[in-house]
Amino acid sequence: MKNTKFMEIGSGKGFYGLLALLGVAILAGLSAFFYMEHTGHWVTGMDNQIVWGAPHVFAIFLIVAASGALNVASIGTVFGKKIYQPLARMSALLAVALLIGGLTVLVLDLGRPDRLIVAMTYYNFKSIFAWNIILYNGFLALVAVYIWTMLDPTVKKFYKLAGFAAFVWRLILTTGTGSIFGWLVARQAYDAAIFAPMFIVMSFSFGLAVFMLVMMATYSWTDRPLGDAVVRRLKNLLGVFVAGVLFFVMVYHLTNLYATEHHGVQAFILRDGGVFTQAFWIGQVLLGSLLPLALLYHPATGNSRFWIGIASALIILGGFAQLTVILIGGQAYPLVLFPGYEVSSSFADGVINSYSPSLPELVLGFSGIAIAMAMMVVGMRVLRMAPASLADEVADPHHGK
Amino acid sequence: MSDHKQPDLARREFLGRGAAAAAAGVVLAPGVMLYGVAQAKPADEPVSSKVRWGMLVDTSKCSNGCNACVDACNKEHGLGNETHSRDTQRTQYIRKVELRHKFTGATHSLPVMCQHCETPPCVDVCPTGASFKRADGIVLVDRHICIGCRYCMMACPYKARSFVHEALTDQRPHTPRGKGCVESCTMCVHRVDEGRQPACVEACAADGSHAIIFGDLNDPSSEIAQRVKTYASSEIRADLGLNTGVRYQGL
Amino acid sequence: MKRLLQLLSMAVLALTLSAPALAGEGGRTPLPSIPAAKGDQCVEDTAVMRRDHMKFLKHHRDATMHQGIRTEKYSLKACLECHAPVEGATAANGKTEEGHFCVNCHVYAGVTLDCFECHATKPETTAQFHPLVSPASAALKATERTDSTVLLNRLVGVSENKAGVAHE
Repeated sequence: MKNTKFMEIGSGKGFYGLLALLGVAILAGLSAFFYMEHTGHWVTGMDNQIVWGAPHVFAIFLIVAASGALNVASIGTVFGKKIYQPLARMSALLAVALLIGGLTVLVLDLGRPDRLIVAMTYYNFKSIFAWNIILYNGFLALVAVYIWTMLDPTVKKFYKLAGFAAFVWRLILTTGTGSIFGWLVARQAYDAAIFAPMFIVMSFSFGLAVFMLVMMATYSWTDRPLGDAVVRRLKNLLGVFVAGVLFFVMVYHLTNLYATEHHGVQAFILRDGGVFTQAFWIGQVLLGSLLPLALLYHPATGNSRFWIGIASALIILGGFAQLTVILIGGQAYPLVLFPGYEVSSSFADGVINSYSPSLPELVLGFSGIAIAMAMMVVGMRVLRMAPASLADEVADPHHGK
Repeated sequence: MSDHKQPDLARREFLGRGAAAAAAGVVLAPGVMLYGVAQAKPADEPVSSKVRWGMLVDTSKCSNGCNACVDACNKEHGLGNETHSRDTQRTQYIRKVELRHKFTGATHSLPVMCQHCETPPCVDVCPTGASFKRADGIVLVDRHICIGCRYCMMACPYKARSFVHEALTDQRPHTPRGKGCVESCTMCVHRVDEGRQPACVEACAADGSHAIIFGDLNDPSSEIAQRVKTYASSEIRADLGLNTGVRYQGL
Repeated sequence: MKRLLQLLSMAVLALTLSAPALAGEGGRTPLPSIPAAKGDQCVEDTAVMRRDHMKFLKHHRDATMHQGIRTEKYSLKACLECHAPVEGATAANGKTEEGHFCVNCHVYAGVTLDCFECHATKPETTAQFHPLVSPASAALKATERTDSTVLLNRLVGVSENKAGVAHE
């Protein structure tokens, strides 16, 4: 296999146009942030029942996808798969970009974002949230070093080590993200150890879907050759991940359906939950999993870039649906304080809570995506991130054999 | 964090407290018992883990439709001064919950507030340590370091916490509260530190219900300790094993 | 000649009128207006308080919050007992929203003050304890609300109000 040649992307009209578009989205997000923080959270759809809303769905999606986006690099570095190695730089950059995008949204939704420094100076080490702060920062640092070892030949000897460390760290990080919910004993929908591994597989799936779209868009917009070998390999892997997520979701629901205690919340999500039930069956299962699986593996669509792109987009959509069901749906179902009783109070006890996101929340959420994409675009512009060619004869180690 | 150490027990002086509290129950008139909570600690003395403040709610004395404790709480802490928030966004420290058993039809009415757990989930999850438990068992939010992430609200099994959704003015001096922080029942810590009873307990007694009693669960001679020793009482979500400071009788 | 005299007298008049302001406010240097406090002596010397009040407050805040130590010295509540604008005095100078000791100085110095996002800006009046005492109490409460709202706005928009203080 020849040495891969990396090149910055060009800076034509398209580059600045895209950057301007993303800039507008980012500015809109910042305005939304200032508006919500200045007036207070009463202008959002969130309340004392649904305490985490749309911004958190976006933030957690981006954070989960971030650790998954690193997978392509990890497979190349840690498991020595040659076909993935040229993609490692883009994969690592995307991981950093997505994480920063997600964290920005998370932080800008705090009640007191002006006190962010407190989150760095006061630590409660029993809190998984506090651990996540360390995990996020550590991930950024490790992946930055990892990228450095790929860019700078003088530190190449640390490449394997950095790649391995980043891989292990990302597994711990997603375990931490899943545990934010898995360790919540209070709520019916959470309190399940399966959240940690489920979030890891979700990260594989969402992260790779985002990576596929970014890669295909980059190579299409920069007119660089992208061979079928790379695309085919990645889309097959993506399909496996999607099926993996489905498996974990199934086990989670089956386990809870077995316990009478959880029948209420399961009936809510799976049957009676209205918008959440639709988000689950139509958004997450049908459009987000089964349809992409069919598209990725059906001979008629599985070899088409267009349909692979559609499948990736659907997986991302399904990811948002899944996180909406987990986050919002999990909060919409009331806490069970008094099993066996019908409950009523002035504080929404025993009531199915409703939530409709306000515009600023959604704008803030989308700006997180824009931040990630802007970092990606700028990163590929100033650094040699993307291989000049991913044509089969360059990228496929088995080409011509 | 290091300056938030639990009080140094060795430095404290406890002599005579047990005796004083034991003598604090006084019969004023037949059927009217006045229990001093405990003698107020000196203002410069840190609270001690020898005390575990708690409440016992006798649901058989708590009547459907009575809101005296809630009203007293709102007044005491200056709650309900939001001008923009929706009803679902307004702060409630204490609420009356009406129960009807789906199978037996049994009904209960009872107040629910922060249960002041011995091992509070809100304290476990708080990233900055703003959610904390005082040595004497009262669970509070240190708003000086609360960043408003609301993870404690996700973690509380009792739905006891509220988030302040707007800028507030005209707070009561003893209950500072403001936009962007989470808050909950303080067990009227400002009163307790003065040796007074929480506002809800006082109001419930003044209303003639006497459904809530307050006291030191660790002091065997206190009324609350005697009552929980003599009669069956339970915790809400006892399955979680949180050993709450607020207990219920007759549920 | 007549015209010159006229101009001169006008100039003298203008100077005379502005003289107290210039002298009282320390010449051309803008100074914060600091309302007088109750009592003769603060808990520490003025120089110490100017430099270290935040340290005292922070230390006391943690002791009160976490250990239930409720001594009055260094407590914000006690600060406000002396330094809060007395009702009569604020009404007299007609600038209620600018009569707050802490806020005035912090706005002047351009230092963000976070205390009053949550803490009461003034001690409780007896009227609030006994709403039935006087018919004026309702009116008082109404004005108090606007007072503290204005105060909060002032705190939030420190930079834009800084200019306002400088012109006083």
